[in-house]
Amino acid sequence: MSSNCSVTTLQLDSIGQTEPATVHLLPCEIEHDGPAEVSRFFTATIKDRKHEKTVSFRGRGLKGQEVSCPQGYTGLVLSEVNKPGSDQEDRTVKVSSVFHNLTYWNLETPPNSDDGIVMAMAWPDLAEAIHGPLDD
Amino acid sequence: MDLKEFEADNSVSCRLASSVPDICKTEACCLGIDEAGRGPVLGPMVYGICFCPVSKKDDLKELKLADSKTLTEAQREELFIKLDEAKSFVGWALQVLSPNTISTSMLQRSKYNLNAISHDAAIGLVQFALDSGVHLKEVFVDTVGPAEKYQDKLSQRFPGVEVTVRPKADSLFPIVSAASICAKVARDHAVKGWNFPEQMGDVDADYGSGYPNDPKTKAWMLKYLDQVFGYPQFVRFSWSTAQTLLDSKAVAVHWDDDEEDGEKAAARQNNTSMLSFFKAGSKTSGPQGNTHQPHRFFTERRLQSLDTL
Amino acid sequence: MTTKKKRTPHSQNDRWVVIVADPAVETPKKDESDPVFVRLRNPSTDEASLYLFGSGDVQLYEVKAFNEDFHSWFIGQAVQRDGRLLYVTPMDPLYLLLPYLIKASEEGKFQPVDQVVIDEEFPACSRLLSCTRSLASLHYVAEEKDVGSRKFHRYSQEKTLQWLKKKVERTVTALRRSTVSVGEGVKSTTYIRVKQEAREEDYVRYAHGLISEYISEDLSRALQTHLQLPELSSPKEVEPPSKKRKLSDKPVESAEDYTKFNSSDFARKPPKKMSAAQKTLAKVDKTGMKSMSAFFSPKVKDEKK
Repeated sequence: MSSNCSVTTLQLDSIGQTEPATVHLLPCEIEHDGPAEVSRFFTATIKDRKHEKTVSFRGRGLKGQEVSCPQGYTGLVLSEVNKPGSDQEDRTVKVSSVFHNLTYWNLETPPNSDDGIVMAMAWPDLAEAIHGPLDD
Repeated sequence: MDLKEFEADNSVSCRLASSVPDICKTEACCLGIDEAGRGPVLGPMVYGICFCPVSKKDDLKELKLADSKTLTEAQREELFIKLDEAKSFVGWALQVLSPNTISTSMLQRSKYNLNAISHDAAIGLVQFALDSGVHLKEVFVDTVGPAEKYQDKLSQRFPGVEVTVRPKADSLFPIVSAASICAKVARDHAVKGWNFPEQMGDVDADYGSGYPNDPKTKAWMLKYLDQVFGYPQFVRFSWSTAQTLLDSKAVAVHWDDDEEDGEKAAARQNNTSMLSFFKAGSKTSGPQGNTHQPHRFFTERRLQSLDTL
Repeated sequence: MTTKKKRTPHSQNDRWVVIVADPAVETPKKDESDPVFVRLRNPSTDEASLYLFGSGDVQLYEVKAFNEDFHSWFIGQAVQRDGRLLYVTPMDPLYLLLPYLIKASEEGKFQPVDQVVIDEEFPACSRLLSCTRSLASLHYVAEEKDVGSRKFHRYSQEKTLQWLKKKVERTVTALRRSTVSVGEGVKSTTYIRVKQEAREEDYVRYAHGLISEYISEDLSRALQTHLQLPELSSPKEVEPPSKKRKLSDKPVESAEDYTKFNSSDFARKPPKKMSAAQKTLAKVDKTGMKSMSAFFSPKVKDEKK
């Protein structure tokens, strides 16, 4: 059981030094965590077509587009510093990359406003309405 | 043969064609169809047509055309030059199907098999000839799949054209031999001069015949296997040779349509998979039976609360 | 064709892709701590959810995950198997304080809020009171009394419903501006969602549903009455039961193991039951507050006069 007492500190001191990262969200689960020749195999083969980007991965055709982070929001990649042995211990994560837009890919389907991630980007705006201070 | 147009983007398929001789627009013509590179796991498959007036069939014979498979590469090159020199009465067109097109078509959600791809390429080229003004009378083609069915399909598609589908047509009809030479030359050039869009550096070009049982091809495929991406687009991922190597040597990749049966496909279409997914999420309720279901704003957007990072 | 490999379960990852509100990651001022992720009691589920306190606990944020099955990331020159996208958005701390105020109101007494917002299970909850907005907005949900330099509060459902109604109105305004489809219309994925003309009631109902994500079921029902929203005749989005089993047989479960939430060690005490510490506190408060309440009580005042 994860302890409710432990906290995870978000170290911000690294935020200024990180390189902006290119991030792609793929429509498949890759059973791998770690280095990959993304620019060699993937980025180099992306085609910018009229209404979409196209590429293929493992022989499957992908169509995608770039989406920006909502206004007032920044994309971060957080990574754990010294993973603790037990979940009772406090943890620390640091900022390892920053991004302002991302490219998401559909399997064969042209990108459209009904895509999950496009719809999810409406959340921050609505969260502001639900949680923002009342005017009076 | 100039493949610049294909080489500019070898991830898609491309049509290349000679000019149409004027005589082909006025006189009844015969047309041969053949393909090259159907079997290899590497490189494009090329569909070719060649056409000339029926009255010039004998002139064609004088070029001493033969099935491209019985010729050496040098002989094919020579014959293609001769065909090109006969452009006053011989025309040709090619459909270069990139390996990426073949992979993505065959691995599509709604599967598009190689026979269908081949038939569509052939039909497309015949239509192209018609659209270009070729006065088409006879079509000769080597069979792909059952000969009769293919013949029916082509005859129905092109009424008024006499279609002959015949095994070994490339050795029986000079116009089919001509088409096979055009296709094979294009395939050879495309493979030899393959411009890897991936930043592969100096790629070892010794990939053998490209046929899966060629030890050189096998060795090349092992050498260039990437554990995440698999292969450059030069490889046909849809070939079992490629799949088997990926299954044993590369990291597993799962798609939402893996082993998808009809019901699951329907469920995905109707979005019910998403509901069942959140059904699982609602198990957070714990044993005291909290039945809280997230609002549809969140379920529709696949947004859920977290209890841990 | 070769047989596809089965998905293997995914162990905990050590990287997260997050979209975060800018103020949450501004460099902390001198002497201020870094932001921290904490687990607090979710007012709607009564269970643990993840939140973030900004530097110096000044602002609270909610953490939600966009989680579509079968997704992974390329981040720079690396693969990350976990394809979730986390959102860190501002959160009104009052939603989280409310259950503690309501619980304490069973006493019917005015109490110092720092004695009310205590939770043995979620010790970080007291940090909610450090949020700039917390103390300043308590008056929306509680009656306030000043005694010397101390403030005392007593939960008021009437005030709370007024406050929640304003929240609903704000949300309705935001929904009207947005592309969110609030009607009961088509939910097919084969069509592009078209924003249909929705009735006022649809907006209010939708907004009520959103706000209900942050309050208890009881309060949600009270709010529905307060908003004069009629009950819906037929429940919607009922999953066809025949398909459920079949679908859950598929490897859907392995990406995120939800069953872990269902394990017995995650069990929570019934929502109404107080923790041992709360019971103790309640007792302490009672004795401590007796004179206070006597002091405040208008009746007592009258007698004094």
